[in-house]
Amino acid sequence: MDLVAGKTYPAERRAIRHVDPVLVIAALVLATAGVLMVYSATHASLVTQHLDPGLYAKKQATFLALGIVVAMAIASFDYRFVKVYAGLVYGASLVLLVLVRTPLGATVRGSQRWFQLFGFQLAPSEVSKLAMIAMLAAFLSELHTQELTLQDVFRATAIAAAPALLVFVQPDLGTAIVIASILVGVLVVAGTRPRHLGVLALAAVVLIFGSLQLGLVKDYQIDRLTSFLDPESDPLRAGYNKKQAEIAIGSGGLTGLGYLEGTQTNLDFVPEQHTDFVFTVVGEEFGFVGAMTMLLLFAVVLWRAFRIALLSKDPFGTYLAAGIASMFAIQVVVNVGMTLGIMPITGIPLPFVSYGGSSFLTNSAAIGLLLNVHMRRFK
Amino acid sequence: MTEGRTEPRLKLLAGLVAFMFAALTTRLWFLQVLTSAEAREKARNNYVHLVESAAPRGRIIDDQGNVLVENRTTLVVTVNRQEAGDGLESDIYTLSKLLGISAEEIARRVESPLYYENSPVPVASHVSKKVAFYIGEHQGELPGVTVARVPVRTYPQGSLAAHVLGYLGQVSPDQLQDPAFEAYEPGDRVGKTGVEAEYEHFLRGTDGVTKYRVNSAGEILEQLSERPPEPGDDLVLTLSSDIQGLAEESLQVGLEHARRTIDPTRNKPYMANAGAVVVLDPTTGAIKALASSPSYDPTFFVRPHTSEQYEQMFGAATGYPLLNRAIQGQYPPGSTYKPFVLLSALRRGIADTSAYYPCPPFWEVPEDPLHESFDNWSKTDWGSISLSRALFDSCDTVFYPIGYQYWRIYYPPTSPPKEPLQEDLKKMGFGSATNVDIPYEKAGRVPTPEWKAEWHRNDPENYPSGKWFPGDFINMSIGQGDTLVTPLQIAQAFATIMNNGRECVPHIAQRIQKASGEMVMRIRDHCGRRVPFTHTQLEYVRNALAQVPIQGTAASAFRGFPFSQVWIAGKTGTAQVTGWQDYSWFAAMASAEGKEYVVVALVEQGGHGSMTAAPIVRRVVEGLYGLPMSGFLSGGATD
Repeated sequence: MDLVAGKTYPAERRAIRHVDPVLVIAALVLATAGVLMVYSATHASLVTQHLDPGLYAKKQATFLALGIVVAMAIASFDYRFVKVYAGLVYGASLVLLVLVRTPLGATVRGSQRWFQLFGFQLAPSEVSKLAMIAMLAAFLSELHTQELTLQDVFRATAIAAAPALLVFVQPDLGTAIVIASILVGVLVVAGTRPRHLGVLALAAVVLIFGSLQLGLVKDYQIDRLTSFLDPESDPLRAGYNKKQAEIAIGSGGLTGLGYLEGTQTNLDFVPEQHTDFVFTVVGEEFGFVGAMTMLLLFAVVLWRAFRIALLSKDPFGTYLAAGIASMFAIQVVVNVGMTLGIMPITGIPLPFVSYGGSSFLTNSAAIGLLLNVHMRRFK
Repeated sequence: MTEGRTEPRLKLLAGLVAFMFAALTTRLWFLQVLTSAEAREKARNNYVHLVESAAPRGRIIDDQGNVLVENRTTLVVTVNRQEAGDGLESDIYTLSKLLGISAEEIARRVESPLYYENSPVPVASHVSKKVAFYIGEHQGELPGVTVARVPVRTYPQGSLAAHVLGYLGQVSPDQLQDPAFEAYEPGDRVGKTGVEAEYEHFLRGTDGVTKYRVNSAGEILEQLSERPPEPGDDLVLTLSSDIQGLAEESLQVGLEHARRTIDPTRNKPYMANAGAVVVLDPTTGAIKALASSPSYDPTFFVRPHTSEQYEQMFGAATGYPLLNRAIQGQYPPGSTYKPFVLLSALRRGIADTSAYYPCPPFWEVPEDPLHESFDNWSKTDWGSISLSRALFDSCDTVFYPIGYQYWRIYYPPTSPPKEPLQEDLKKMGFGSATNVDIPYEKAGRVPTPEWKAEWHRNDPENYPSGKWFPGDFINMSIGQGDTLVTPLQIAQAFATIMNNGRECVPHIAQRIQKASGEMVMRIRDHCGRRVPFTHTQLEYVRNALAQVPIQGTAASAFRGFPFSQVWIAGKTGTAQVTGWQDYSWFAAMASAEGKEYVVVALVEQGGHGSMTAAPIVRRVVEGLYGLPMSGFLSGGATD
């Protein structure tokens, strides 16, 4: 490693000039849309509870402002510092994941996922995704190899497995799936033989069946995961979310019912609408045109992320960007796919749009990292 | 980029992501463009909640303005399965304890396939106010359970005219398929019999519907639209409660009298198990009374009942009280048929009013090698008598040769067959329904050679011969054999004789009016069809029949009747039914003070016509004209 901590280079002062405006604008548009969607999803039920209709939207706007600060802060120092402290951050995230299981963590609806801090809920699982990406990128970039050995693949898998397992037992199946997907994405970019990926897949299958056999996966999780295959089987429980989400999106039609005009949205028929099912607001109120526009914005973010991975001056930056791209991609596909009824229902938020501080700030930090790699792409 | 092979790997990953985005886009297109209309419909069903308010059914009123049927409200507990959702099981448990009905029974009612998933299913009616109040107060614990105020029928005059009025029941699955019942939903109540069924579409009214916008919790946010219920129209009958009461009472008196009278042929009292009385205005066809016994309490159908209860109430043990014997009972007319046979014989030149005919105790079929013999009801040889006396004394042996003459016309059979007797009887209205405005009327039967052949083909076991014999005509001439009539057909035919050959279709409805009294529709009289007999022939028969109560077969039953005040003519009938005691008939025409009536009485297993039916008719006629009641003067064992 040729980086000496604390030493500054003259070129660094000009880095701000090389910020990626396309990525910044796409992310800001998505985040702004998110605030509006959160308002639409929550204002009516807040009014019936005699609360400020803008309560959630204002909080989300606060997260947006905080997120900008976080992204700028993270972009401001050379990302190679991340490589230096990756182990520390990764270790700290694992500690938090363990601590959240202790009485320090709050239990909400059967899951122990959050720390209650100053009126906000902090979900360490969100932070752990980014920490894991950094650790993985640091580890793989140090191998200095074009092709990974099976041993390397196993080591990389171990890095992902630790947070994945801790998240899985919360239980938060969705984030565990995201972590596993990030691992696969980064491994592909780092050069894993298809044969080794096959071994990994086999191991995953054994693991899944093993956990089913041992009863590690709760019944409701299986129900939710499989209900998308047959929503009519139990329309009032697991299939209900999916059915109502599809009705909301379908009734949007080509151009939507108009902002704040969606009946499914306003009358509370879609559960978890401001968080996991926020895409249904877009679908119902802005129709096919609106939904496609949002998907396009995500495509722009992903395009820029892959581009940054390609432009990075070092493998660490490449893996970092590829990991972040994988994280965004899998979250968008699983989240949107779930609202459309073609993916299992798992509690994965839609990046930038879903209500929630931990998720938003993690995504902001990820954008900060991408910008960082982009700004410092010149050797 | 430092390592050259990273680029294709990144592109592979990006390609994978692009592929997944393409899948999302396809699905979006499917949901939002191809199947959007269905989703919008579902979204509408989500937030629009319909609350129906039942329209009060129209009342049924007699010709004096007395109410026969009106409404009262009852409290009905309903369960909406969709709204109950997961709470259905606890709903059933709570309701079971509250209503004292087993949980299995409630579950069975709730799961009724007659109702849509999202419509309220009635599980208990006539619940107490206390139960209704409890349910109202505990809505949180009883999701989807509501108490509805539902109008039900009430009968201020009890079981009076029960058969005419009819009763309500749940609309049947067959009716729901019928376009005429398009506006009906499963569980709706509909007239099943009587005028309730005949005038269903006037009486029903239109249910009100209020549309509300609700949220996912089922809370009402606003009212979207409201259509108030429109009450059904009132039905005014030609029937008069006083006359109906008189007819029912007289029938009852007659039945009880017959049950105390010994049947000499069997040496036991008459069963007199059932009977019917018809009172008709011959000038219009308006039915003033239509009594049928045994009767029933119509309030039975207001409450839910099991099929066992139904069987117990209305089965063989109670003599099938739902049967309206005045229009659904089919009986051999016996001698009440003779006036019509005579009219045909006069028309066809078979009989002559100026001639005299022998009336021996028995008569043998000529040219019959077996010398088959047909008896008169009397063992006395009356010598030669006029046709008029043959009618008022009901001489069978005068009518047998008349019947035989029709055999001579018929045989050998031609194509088309010559059947003038059947033709004339059908012209009098026999063998087909009168088309009275009460459903499920029976047609009776005028037997013909073709009919007999067909019955033999269809059921050779019970009808061993399909051949038409002289005996068929001979039996028909005295209203026996395979001939069947309903009491209403006899009444209509006598009305036609009284009306000088002008036939009126009997009807029981007079008009339909709004609750305010505003006229909706007048039910017109259907008179005018003429029967093919001359005024002279009809007058001859009328005059002959006028002698029946004076010096004929009903003279003993009409002892002391004020013939100078009320003109009355009639005919007795004693119908023989194989295996049963004789059926007693009397049909009468009466006229006084410009008011005309035809009164017909039939008593199953009631003995001779003059014994049971004639005194019933006399009692009714006395009541109709306000004459002093003579008591029940049972006549002798005449025909």
